[in-house]
Amino acid sequence: MSKKKVLIVDDLSFFRMALRDILERAGFDVVGEAANGAEAVDKTRTLLPDIVILDVVMPVKTGIDAAKEISLMKMPLKIVMCSSLGYEPIVEEAMRAGASAYILKPLNEKDVLHALSGLDAGGARPGR
Amino acid sequence: MDTSKYKALYLQETSEHLAGIEKGLLDLEKGAQDDQTVDHLFRHYHSIKGMSASMGYEPIQKLAHAQEDLLDRIRQKRMACRPGITAVLFQCLDGLKTLVRQVEDGAPLDADVAHFAAMIKEIIEAPAVAAEPAPDKTAPAAPSAPQTGIPELKLSHVMKVEGRVFDELLATVGDLVMALSTFKTISHSSRSIEFREGTYKLGKYINAIHHSILSARMLPIEDLTEGLPRLVRDMSHRSGKEVELRITGSDLRLDRSTLEGLGGPLVHIIRNCVDHGIEPVEVRVRNGKPKAGVITINAFRKKDRVVIEVADDGAGINVSKIRERAKASGVPAEKLNAMDDKEALMLVCLPGVTSTDAVTETSGRGVGMDVVKAAVEGLGGSLVIASTPGAGVRLSMEMPITTSIIKALIVNEGPEQFLIALSRIERVVEVHKGEIANGWYATGTSRIPVLPLGPTLGMPDAGEREFYSLIIIHAHGVTDDTGGDAAGIRVDAFSDEIDAYIRPLQPPISRLWGVSGIAVMGDGRTVFLLDVSQIGTKVKAWS
Repeated sequence: MSKKKVLIVDDLSFFRMALRDILERAGFDVVGEAANGAEAVDKTRTLLPDIVILDVVMPVKTGIDAAKEISLMKMPLKIVMCSSLGYEPIVEEAMRAGASAYILKPLNEKDVLHALSGLDAGGARPGR
Repeated sequence: MDTSKYKALYLQETSEHLAGIEKGLLDLEKGAQDDQTVDHLFRHYHSIKGMSASMGYEPIQKLAHAQEDLLDRIRQKRMACRPGITAVLFQCLDGLKTLVRQVEDGAPLDADVAHFAAMIKEIIEAPAVAAEPAPDKTAPAAPSAPQTGIPELKLSHVMKVEGRVFDELLATVGDLVMALSTFKTISHSSRSIEFREGTYKLGKYINAIHHSILSARMLPIEDLTEGLPRLVRDMSHRSGKEVELRITGSDLRLDRSTLEGLGGPLVHIIRNCVDHGIEPVEVRVRNGKPKAGVITINAFRKKDRVVIEVADDGAGINVSKIRERAKASGVPAEKLNAMDDKEALMLVCLPGVTSTDAVTETSGRGVGMDVVKAAVEGLGGSLVIASTPGAGVRLSMEMPITTSIIKALIVNEGPEQFLIALSRIERVVEVHKGEIANGWYATGTSRIPVLPLGPTLGMPDAGEREFYSLIIIHAHGVTDDTGGDAAGIRVDAFSDEIDAYIRPLQPPISRLWGVSGIAVMGDGRTVFLLDVSQIGTKVKAWS
């Protein structure tokens, strides 16, 4: 099976770098990075990732709004939210917006990989 | 997570967010309580919190979280943005800055976060004074309205390099340039095409390196002025005055070392404006001025130099008081009487001379304008002060864009050689001694004052010559026959035009009059660069 393609979206390059490190070490193919929700939507359309990891609080367009738009595109991919906002209304809203998993910052490798492996267990479409 | 490799990135992004917070708080305090301002602020705190948590910087995370929480309440209209909140947030911001600096220095994070957290808790729990707006039930937990984005991630391509590295690089290129000048001299008389071609190419590449290094050293003035709004706010709060700061032209770039050297003088000047220039509100109102005083910083290009002007609309400087003070500090009366007001104004730059009686917390008595002038001139710049009584003071600092390598003309005077920056030279003329009469040179339509270089610098008289070279310059404060500012520096002869790497003068040589730098020629000789502005001030004495 080929590597899973991941798009990382966070307005802070600090977190993009951290996620990229974790994912590449674990054998994922990080196909791109975006710094806001609008860029995320554009890059999802062109890069065709299997997984989009979205930060919630971002300028221009929030992760929640981006998740809604990406869901509407009906593409074979999974959305994972990643935020330090942990209170329930936000998590619920993210799930309603189409997210399959929610990772809480601060990032730690175990949580990230656990959340991503859970995607398959939850019946994720096979990677292309 | 292995945090060490993330630390640089953490510091970089955090400092951007701290700057964003400062700007946001200033806007908030000025009354911009729109959703976007509050939302941006919230996001800055949020980002710092998230990164600090990942790095394990718990005190920073806690402090940022407390402030984020407060902003979130305001953002969700669960709380009104009351006056007093910004004051606390400013204090907390200083706490954050201290902590981040400790991270940078590798020091333990030991600032008292509990104290800040308690202040914020107090605000949150205080009963609202103003009626709070009705809670908006439809407000989503996260903002969904599209916002106009501000680019917040521009530093990812930027590399942090210690300034010292560039200083060394530049010095090395300077040495290369001077070594090259020897090759150039030989190549002029060489018959070898290969040698001449090689020398030409070498020169071209050295030039290219030089330009890259220079441009890498250039920083926008903004880097220096971004801390000023906060400074002015704090100072005006302390003095009980209302002061508005306006900055224009801050995107202009200056050499790093020049900019760095201007930091101190700029703060000195601004302090003087706030403490001694701008009047208290009641006085301003009585004099028919707007309540808030205005300090303007304006930067603009002037040929190969950058002028930074700082002006206030305050009371201006009392020149007669300056004269009194100068007299009291030992300036001879006859000298004072010979000065016009413009010259007398510059006396504030004498140590111990000040126009004010007030001693204030921030600037004490007459903050060292002598220090300011020395710093500006030490950087190869010049300082001019103008004042209109009742309408304010304007200080102009005219700075070279870069120190270092300049095009210069070698001039001979007696046994000595000197350099004059080409940028300061209007033209060069060969004259017969008879064409100069009583210190004036007649050019046909007008006359310009002439300064013999040797005597002006205090060199022994080398005896009269038949012909001289006149280097025509423009100098501030000079008045020629037609009201222009041209003057002629009389030298024995002029020779080559060279690229000269100018090193700053170190004390005690830096106290020499009439020179502003030194260059080591390819053959090892040292040659002084003439300080044209300073020499120009002698024109009056001679004419």
